[in-house]
Amino acid sequence: MLLRGIDFHTHPLLVREMIARHPELARAAREVYFIGNNFQPLESFLLELDLAGLEKAVVLPMDATTARHETVYTNEQIAELCTLSPRLIGFASVDPHQPDAPDRLEAAVRGMGLHGLKLAPALQGFFPDDRLAYPVYERARALNIPILFHAGMSWEPGSRLQYGHPMRFENVAADFPGLRIVLAHLAWPWVVDAVALALKYPNLYLDTSALYFDNPRDFLRYAMCHQVPLTVFERSLRHQLLFGSNYPRVEIKNMARAVRGLGLSEDCLDLVFRTNAGKLLGSKA
Amino acid sequence: MIIKLERIEVQSRKDLEMIDITAELERVVAESGARNGIVLAMTTHTSSGLLVTEGIECLERDVLAHLERLAPKEPPEGSYGYWHNRYLDYDGRLGFNAGDHLKSILGGVNCFFPIENGKVVRGSRQRVYFVEYDGPLARTAFIQVIGEA
Repeated sequence: MLLRGIDFHTHPLLVREMIARHPELARAAREVYFIGNNFQPLESFLLELDLAGLEKAVVLPMDATTARHETVYTNEQIAELCTLSPRLIGFASVDPHQPDAPDRLEAAVRGMGLHGLKLAPALQGFFPDDRLAYPVYERARALNIPILFHAGMSWEPGSRLQYGHPMRFENVAADFPGLRIVLAHLAWPWVVDAVALALKYPNLYLDTSALYFDNPRDFLRYAMCHQVPLTVFERSLRHQLLFGSNYPRVEIKNMARAVRGLGLSEDCLDLVFRTNAGKLLGSKA
Repeated sequence: MIIKLERIEVQSRKDLEMIDITAELERVVAESGARNGIVLAMTTHTSSGLLVTEGIECLERDVLAHLERLAPKEPPEGSYGYWHNRYLDYDGRLGFNAGDHLKSILGGVNCFFPIENGKVVRGSRQRVYFVEYDGPLARTAFIQVIGEA
């Protein structure tokens, strides 16, 4: 089977090899992300990709030092994880509250070989359009890396939904036209708002990693066929939509099957699963 | 009296998969030293199973296909939904594998065989399968021998 494509949104919370080396990651998985699944060998993660027909996955850390006194995977640990398999593409995370966040980001990209930035305003306790984060955005633009933002609903107790409203990302998209930003989870429940932003700002992307009720098939059909007509994604946003699963909250196989079953054309699916991510990640893709 | 409990890990590689663990069962019995008694096996997961059937590929396909037909991963459209399709706070995620739990119930989660003269007593065509209903995952099964030397 020819493996093509990238899962742009995974959390390596269950990887047993990393938990053996860094036992604190087990507690973080349980207490920050509230993931209760059994820890698994990396092989299970890679087999999930195989089953979904995908070659690679973006693996995401989270630095919520100020807001939560927690870091779920440091940038160094993500870089270490990526040495275990060439199929993993590491992103960095920095805490925008920390004055040296831009320098930390540059060190992660230039020194550790990470390829993007993950920020979760609801977990990290900042509004995306707060000027405190602008130096981080400016550095990401200078480094020519994408930022993947958590957007929309957040399950984690203590996180405020208002931090993830898509309209709080408009100034970022407008003030940094050269910065490529991805709103995760279709920013559900504000899918219409997120789509409006993506239609207006070509530097703003959406990922498919949304599941908040029912099952992947029925949820995505609601969000991408009823909240917004599927034709909007097919015709207008085909170059700004990325496949993401949010593994391990959702198995990669299940989300991939749901996206493929929406009714998008084959060439649009190729953009969503492969080409658009490749455009954001450059040579790593 | 010999009582031996062994934990084995089974790495499934597919979404639905039957994995023959007969040799593992026989190894645990042989290593236990029990001459006469019983051997029990169970999976610890509620979306996997253990069952006994003939060890041929066509039958493996039939077992999986018909359990999927009886308890599909996604409920048939427009007929009914799964109550399990909701947010499970203890798991930090939605439950949408009700069909896999139901397959586990239908197929069973344990089996046992007598031990006679140090050998597992089973039919000539019987094989013991660990059955994955929601893989790929590293799974745990227990095999226990109770007998006398």
